[in-house]
Amino acid sequence: MKTMTRFIIVLILLILTGSPAWAQDAIGFVKTVSGSAAVIDAGKPIKAQVGTPIKMGNTLNTGPKGAMGITFKDNTVMSFGPDTELTVDEYLYAPGKDDLKFGTSMSKGSLQVVSGVIAKLKPQSVTMKTPTGTIGIRGTRFLVKVEP
Amino acid sequence: MIRNLKTGFVVCAVLLVAMGCATAPPPPPVVPAPVAQAPKSYVVLMENADGTVGRLAVSGAKGEVLLNQPRSGVDLDGTASTPYTVDENRINRDFGEALAAQPPLPVSFMLYYKAGGTVLTDESQALIPAILDAARNHPAPDVSVIGHTDTVGNTEANEKLGLQRAQSVAEIIKKAGLQVHDLTIASHGEKNLLVATPDNTPEPKNRRVEITVR
Repeated sequence: MKTMTRFIIVLILLILTGSPAWAQDAIGFVKTVSGSAAVIDAGKPIKAQVGTPIKMGNTLNTGPKGAMGITFKDNTVMSFGPDTELTVDEYLYAPGKDDLKFGTSMSKGSLQVVSGVIAKLKPQSVTMKTPTGTIGIRGTRFLVKVEP
Repeated sequence: MIRNLKTGFVVCAVLLVAMGCATAPPPPPVVPAPVAQAPKSYVVLMENADGTVGRLAVSGAKGEVLLNQPRSGVDLDGTASTPYTVDENRINRDFGEALAAQPPLPVSFMLYYKAGGTVLTDESQALIPAILDAARNHPAPDVSVIGHTDTVGNTEANEKLGLQRAQSVAEIIKKAGLQVHDLTIASHGEKNLLVATPDNTPEPKNRRVEITVR
């Protein structure tokens, strides 16, 4: 009986520490889509539709005639023009524990960002990397265009 | 034995060929054509929906530029160049599609309790139809119910208290018929004050549950 209990505990620990993709919570959702747009999760592209969840580490992209709007859990709103690609490198949103971070990398395209609660509570923790410079966001709306 | 010798010979031959390849003169270097065009990557600071303007710090290999004027832009070319004003035509040309794809902005509602219980104040009860409406007007509405406290008591206790408040409000709006794509119940404890106060300060406006429809 004891061995059985131990076995089950070890099994549970293994499952928890393995942190499979399905255990990760959504950090935002796709709200608008036109033309072709995708959410790339662990290398696999998923066709973006209204309601598609976004997870940390995902790459979001639009096709040559695509556009997409995303709202994140901290109220950050991003809208993508055509032929745009952005990766969510880091997203921590637990203000009760002071865990706040929002790091993205934009490799190409056109984007509007309306910053949210993370930028309001901890502005220095919100950054966007582009191939030729980093943008630090101090609570605002802005536009970025990247031509690789 | 003969077979081994043969194999050895073949291996030697292959190695020699490989070494020959490795020591072959490298192809002449390709000289990139000088790029004369202006950099096309840039960032523009915009006014917020409420008319306020924030700030952006744009840093590259050669320094940092601070943007604090609406519609001021700077090239993303690694240099700390001078900001310039970006006109409406250029914004529409480069960002028209991105601007048109913007989802409706999140809407927040504050709910307060009558003292000492889980009964909403009459004003807060009256907000419930507006919350249901907002959920109908947002695509794939995801709703968060976040409990907040004032700074009386310690951080851990306040995080728990905030969560209890959020859970009770979530029950109330679910019973009222809220239809959502996703519902999150969380607590910010005393870390996200509406009215800034020192520690251990009672403040009714900080004791709230914030419902956000995204």
